[in-house]
Amino acid sequence: MRAEDIDENFPVVDIDSDALEAVRLLAEHRLNGLVVVTNTSDTPYAVLPASQVVRFIVPGYVQDDPGLAAVLSESMADHAAEKLTGKTIRDVLPKQRQVVPVADADDTIIEVAEVMARMRSPLVAVVKKNKLHGVITASRLLGAALRPDQLSAGSQAS
Amino acid sequence: MSMHTVHAIYASAVFVVAYALITTERFNKTMIALAGAVAVFFLPVINSDEVFYSRDTGIDWDVIFLLLGMMIIVSVVRQTGVFEYIAIWAAKRAKGSPLRIMILLVLVTAVGSAFLDNVTTVLLIAPVTLLVADRLGVSPAPFLIVEAFAANIGGAATLVGDPTTIIIGTGAHLSFISFLANMGPAVLIVLSVLLLLLPRLFPGAFTVEPERVADVMALDEGEAIRNRTLLVQCGIVLLAVFTGFVLHHVIHMEPSLVAMTGAGILVIISGLNREFYLSSVEWETLLFFAGLFVMVGALVRTGVIENLAHAASHATHGNEFLTTMLILGVSFLFSGFVNNVPYAATMTPIVAEFVESIHGGANSGVLWWSLLLGTVLGGNLTAVGASANIVVVGIAERAGNPISFWGFTRRGAVITAISFVISVAYLWVRYFVLR
Repeated sequence: MRAEDIDENFPVVDIDSDALEAVRLLAEHRLNGLVVVTNTSDTPYAVLPASQVVRFIVPGYVQDDPGLAAVLSESMADHAAEKLTGKTIRDVLPKQRQVVPVADADDTIIEVAEVMARMRSPLVAVVKKNKLHGVITASRLLGAALRPDQLSAGSQAS
Repeated sequence: MSMHTVHAIYASAVFVVAYALITTERFNKTMIALAGAVAVFFLPVINSDEVFYSRDTGIDWDVIFLLLGMMIIVSVVRQTGVFEYIAIWAAKRAKGSPLRIMILLVLVTAVGSAFLDNVTTVLLIAPVTLLVADRLGVSPAPFLIVEAFAANIGGAATLVGDPTTIIIGTGAHLSFISFLANMGPAVLIVLSVLLLLLPRLFPGAFTVEPERVADVMALDEGEAIRNRTLLVQCGIVLLAVFTGFVLHHVIHMEPSLVAMTGAGILVIISGLNREFYLSSVEWETLLFFAGLFVMVGALVRTGVIENLAHAASHATHGNEFLTTMLILGVSFLFSGFVNNVPYAATMTPIVAEFVESIHGGANSGVLWWSLLLGTVLGGNLTAVGASANIVVVGIAERAGNPISFWGFTRRGAVITAISFVISVAYLWVRYFVLR
């Protein structure tokens, strides 16, 4: 089984699009990341993990001193996402450009898993002929890695 | 040219090059200090006895272990959340007034810095400062700047308040009480003046919308305490440690041993894992000190320090008042622009020579107080004058409210100038007029 056999169509966002809209996409579809592109290239520019968005809304001083998280009142905490207002995806991405977790279309499952593990990314972009072909999420990868009998045994158990 | 002179020139060259490289802040200062130490190992007059066992020319283990002990103690205490509790409690006592908050945070920082390392104090207070400023909708930059000033000023009050005071105080064999009795009043005066100047240093920085005040008052400082049992344990041990500092001459236990004993007790009773009780230990800093002591030791061993002290003593004709003011002035000037730790390490044996050579120097303690005041308070002059300043500038930049070099120095120059005048007056009145 190759990467192009298991990848899926996946929401893609432009780097200069509204961050709040992107977050709604993540929340509504329960996604664990988004592929970010620019209007100048067909290859992915970055993967935006949902955890990075979560990290963005946590104030820097709370990240420096986690004990302060408990000090904030509930109303302050409830308005944490307001930090995304007026921001673009570019603002939410890490300042230093990260290497994009990419697999070739003919990579095996293990090669895709290696990229995912090494880069600690919840999804990997599959590229064919320098164009985005699809995306493999961690759950999709695991589903492909399980044998059919292992999959059906799990279904029966639940 | 004798071999003795050659050795002296070599040791001086190594030290000057290392010092210059450290000052640029562009290289890892620990690696430079260790490289400098290795370079002086090649001197035939330096051997392992000189480096490891000599009180005069070797690594000052009292300083290293006092620092290590206090770092471990801080590592454990910060797990309790007590620093955050105190800072938020203070901010709420100010009822949301930015000026009153600044005053209280300055006091918390200064008192904290008197007993903890300056950089640690600033690192502990900064997140709360950013939180409060964020809630009030004001820039945190003015708060961070004055907290750096307060950390430097407060750190001058006690033997353990700053690595510089530890180096000088330990080298001069000053007791904790004597240190506090002589430095405390000067520090209190400088701190009081800083508080009075706050509105003038940052005009317009204290305007806040009334509805923002409620956000600050809604903070729950009680939630900052993460481990009440550990807090009580730390309180008891800290009390014992500072009692030990005060009575160290009586109990015949150097402050380094008191600190290590307290650290050991806290590690055992807290049950914390190594990653927690060593979290504030800066091994690189300790190695930096070790390298520095070896280089300075080489200067002592080759006679450079003695010659410098004699030259300066000759310039002042052995006059104690002139020597005091010379040390004070030079220290204020140097500390404002260069890292004051290597300066303190170098000046300590020089001032020790002065103390020996000053004719009828029954009041020779004044030379140490002038070195301390100049070295520590001079660090407020520029953004690179002290480690706490550099840390604060970095924090402000990461928080999106950068502090420019000139923005810091404008205020630093005012505080330093006033500190210098106060120091001159204090030393003159207390040790020469009222002698």
